[in-house]
Amino acid sequence: MNGKTKSKIITTMIYVFLIVVAVVYIAPLLWVFMVSFKTNAEIFSDPFALPESLYLDNYTFAWTAGKLGIATLNSFIVCGVTLILSMLIGSMAAFAIGRMRFKLAKPCMIFFLIGMMIPVHCVMIPLFTRFARLGLSNSLVGIIIPYLTFSLPTTIFIMTGFFQSMPNELMESACIDGASIFEIFFKIALPLSRTGLFVTGLMTFVANWNELLLAMVFISDDAKKTLPVSLSKFVGPYNTNYSQMFAAIIIAVIPTIIVYCIFSNQIVDGLTAGAVKG
Amino acid sequence: MKKRLLAVVLSVAMTAALLAGCGAGGGTSDGNESASAEGGVQEITWMFWDDLNATEDLISKGYADVIDRFNADYEGQYHVTAVTTNLEEYYPKLNALVASNETPDVFIVSPGPNLEVYVEPGVAAPLDEYLADGWKDSFTSDAVFSQMTYDGKIYAVPLNIAAACAFYNTEMFEAAGVKVPETWDEMLDACKKLEAAGYTPITISAGTAWCLSMVAGYLCEMEGVDLAALADGSASWEDGQLESAAAKLVELSQYFQKTAAGDTNDVATANFYNEEAAILIQGSWAIAQINGSNPDFESKCGVFQFPGVERVIAKSDSIAMSSTTKYPEACIAFMKYFTDDTAQKYTAEIGGKIPVTNVEYDASKAPAQLAYVMEVFGAANGTFGFYNESMPSTEAGAYFDDLMVSVFLGDMTPAEAAADMEDFYAGNCR
Amino acid sequence: MDKLLRNKKVITIFLMPALLLFTVVLFIPICQSVYYSFCDYKGLTAPEFIGLANYKNLLKDKSMIYALKNSLFFLIFSCVTQLILGLFLAALLTNIKKGRNLFKNIIYLPCVLSSTALGLLWMFIFSPKLGINQALEKFGIEGPLWLMDTSGFIILPMWVIAFVALWQYVGQSMMLYMAQISGISTSLYEASYIDGCNKAQSFIHITLPLIRPMVATAMSFNAIGSLKFFDLIFNMTEGGPNHRTEVLATHLYTQGFKYNKYGYASAVGVVLIILCLLVTGLINKFVKTENYEM
Repeated sequence: MNGKTKSKIITTMIYVFLIVVAVVYIAPLLWVFMVSFKTNAEIFSDPFALPESLYLDNYTFAWTAGKLGIATLNSFIVCGVTLILSMLIGSMAAFAIGRMRFKLAKPCMIFFLIGMMIPVHCVMIPLFTRFARLGLSNSLVGIIIPYLTFSLPTTIFIMTGFFQSMPNELMESACIDGASIFEIFFKIALPLSRTGLFVTGLMTFVANWNELLLAMVFISDDAKKTLPVSLSKFVGPYNTNYSQMFAAIIIAVIPTIIVYCIFSNQIVDGLTAGAVKG
Repeated sequence: MKKRLLAVVLSVAMTAALLAGCGAGGGTSDGNESASAEGGVQEITWMFWDDLNATEDLISKGYADVIDRFNADYEGQYHVTAVTTNLEEYYPKLNALVASNETPDVFIVSPGPNLEVYVEPGVAAPLDEYLADGWKDSFTSDAVFSQMTYDGKIYAVPLNIAAACAFYNTEMFEAAGVKVPETWDEMLDACKKLEAAGYTPITISAGTAWCLSMVAGYLCEMEGVDLAALADGSASWEDGQLESAAAKLVELSQYFQKTAAGDTNDVATANFYNEEAAILIQGSWAIAQINGSNPDFESKCGVFQFPGVERVIAKSDSIAMSSTTKYPEACIAFMKYFTDDTAQKYTAEIGGKIPVTNVEYDASKAPAQLAYVMEVFGAANGTFGFYNESMPSTEAGAYFDDLMVSVFLGDMTPAEAAADMEDFYAGNCR
Repeated sequence: MDKLLRNKKVITIFLMPALLLFTVVLFIPICQSVYYSFCDYKGLTAPEFIGLANYKNLLKDKSMIYALKNSLFFLIFSCVTQLILGLFLAALLTNIKKGRNLFKNIIYLPCVLSSTALGLLWMFIFSPKLGINQALEKFGIEGPLWLMDTSGFIILPMWVIAFVALWQYVGQSMMLYMAQISGISTSLYEASYIDGCNKAQSFIHITLPLIRPMVATAMSFNAIGSLKFFDLIFNMTEGGPNHRTEVLATHLYTQGFKYNKYGYASAVGVVLIILCLLVTGLINKFVKTENYEM
């Protein structure tokens, strides 16, 4: 009996602690969401009360002046293209390393793995000068290429694991049926490693969706900026119209939050699975 | 199957392109210029540091008008397109274009070491032959070119002048019983009285280092710092002037707003027009910002010369021409539109900046503060440049700015700062 | 089958795109970066070899010293706090039945959000006149200048930013540990309870040793992540006041792309690469052990 009450107390304490933690996580987001509907004057006069009326002008202003619409579109294009290319190129390389038989498989893998440790900052200057000379420094292609490259190591690493753990029999029987190696890859290996593709795709997308530094350096044309860059330029300490900036922040995070709320379990587990393997 | 092929082809093509760029180095060709030559219209580009479509800045809006007028007047002959960035990324972007042999035909640049960056490798063209046809005579004096002249040649044309002054809230001054200070002691006294009356005496930005450094520049002037002598080594930063100027900065800093350390330029200016502080020391470009953000404030805003000095800090925007432009005549015709009477009148009457030519403008239309600034400007015994733009390199300027912030924050004593600056000059500037 | 898998032409086709991209976008630029770090290179004129001058200047550069100090602070802070808090949360969450997914998902949420947006959000919460200071004002307390104070060896803004980074990324460490803990067979625990262990003891004697490989993984993530740290600082303080919150990545950005000192910034980049390789090496050497069978 004594032990039971003790464990009950402990459980209650755990829940109290977790609720406090959850509040620390939710409260800042909620506060910003709330004040984004206020006028600037209201923020200072009564910062913690619910907004008296839904003042939506902040949102329209942030959307138009912050150019967040085009930025969201650009982010989608960049992340989408990078996602598809990195899954394709990455799993091709992973298949070669994990399944094909050649002596240089291990050195190749090590070469790719080095890429996981190099931060993109370190190659930014040579890339920038080179791309500027090629006219790529202010185009979406110019950021897709480095994004793609820096997404490859994790993709290759995770996909290699998947291909290696795949049972031999399926491929062998396909081979006997006269399938070419490309058919084996596209029709058997890839479909069988859907989980891997989902995991790597998710990691690639999240990482590139949020990338700021490289996009900021490479893109200067407002019409080509990605979401983090436009947001950082629009908000930032240079401005004193707080309520509009709060609205911009909300606009920038709300799509991710919605998607996350719907698929949170898959996303969390997928990203964790990726990280565990990486 | 097709997908794979496409991917291979694509990646090989991308890589080949990259490799080609690597091998060819600087020798890439400009593909975009040949297209326009056919039509007979000479296409030029102008690079500018503000978004002309979205800007609220009145001066920038004036530049947009200049472009429209030029393109309308020369339709079929010349055409200019603006390439715009924002201020923070302007120079990196410009440099990237220069590096890729796509220097914009005309570009805006701050005079002094910023311009020198483009003069030295021959990116900016000397303009003397074009100025000689009477254009130069339309300017108020030859002195406006002093920061754009290297080896006796003029490399850029000024567009307008702004002067750094002390703006003040006349109501607060009255309520505190303070009159406009003329000497350093009066300034301190005024601040003390304002503080006693319950006001924040001075709003300033140390988060944007050059704002604080502007005040430091005035204090150095007060102490008689001679930048030219320091640059050639005939004087030392440790001679005592910088030390006492920095000490004065520390003395003045007790009257700054509490958040000065982190406030940015715009926040500090907002403190002033939102009537949270009595004095703002800022360039006259702030007039447009102040009146634009709080129109009611115009009538309460006075201007005085920074006390204890005879000269004022002046800064001009200027435009330079690329030495590799295909159409110098078009460029010059375009540049002249910035200094014609319409543009210069606009500069004064709407933009609130000091015109560079002898244009007559209607003072009653201009912002009230411009008249005060003109008064200060006229009464001053000459001008000098921003300290960070009057040093041998942009880096030295930035170093000075940071040093002054360090002194303000108390990270360094004035004497240490002087020794540090001398070290930097000895190592980098002489 | 074997013949198919040894086809050299196919192997080349499969590997070529990735290898080419890697060589051109990563490998060659790294070599160039190293070369530039020995050059006076401002972007407008060709790089000019100047030997070790950039590296000598690094040692004299006050902002670089701040940047290095702050980066190391982040490294240590995030490795230690993420390990402790991440493990603690993971242990708590594996021991509750109701609401585990809810709490897990809430804590993980910031990991998928843009650190630009979150940095800006916290910047406002910690700004002088908003957020926390408004709340403190209600209790009559005058809040400190969270992001502007410059006193102390590790200044207040650095603690604030480190807290935000912990807030944002602890979910990842937590999930990694949870994944590993849930992989431990329950029979091990049952055996330990029979032997008279309580929960805390079994945590120390079973869980901790068995998750050690994961500690290495999570730590490498934290270490590399904190060395690369850019978004939060850039959006919360931009390295200010007076470069006191500069880290290596922001310093590289300022020097390279604000002052256009490509050569000098490359030297900062080389220091960053060396640190990354060094730290990963150290963690793998001292923390990582071979996987236990579970």
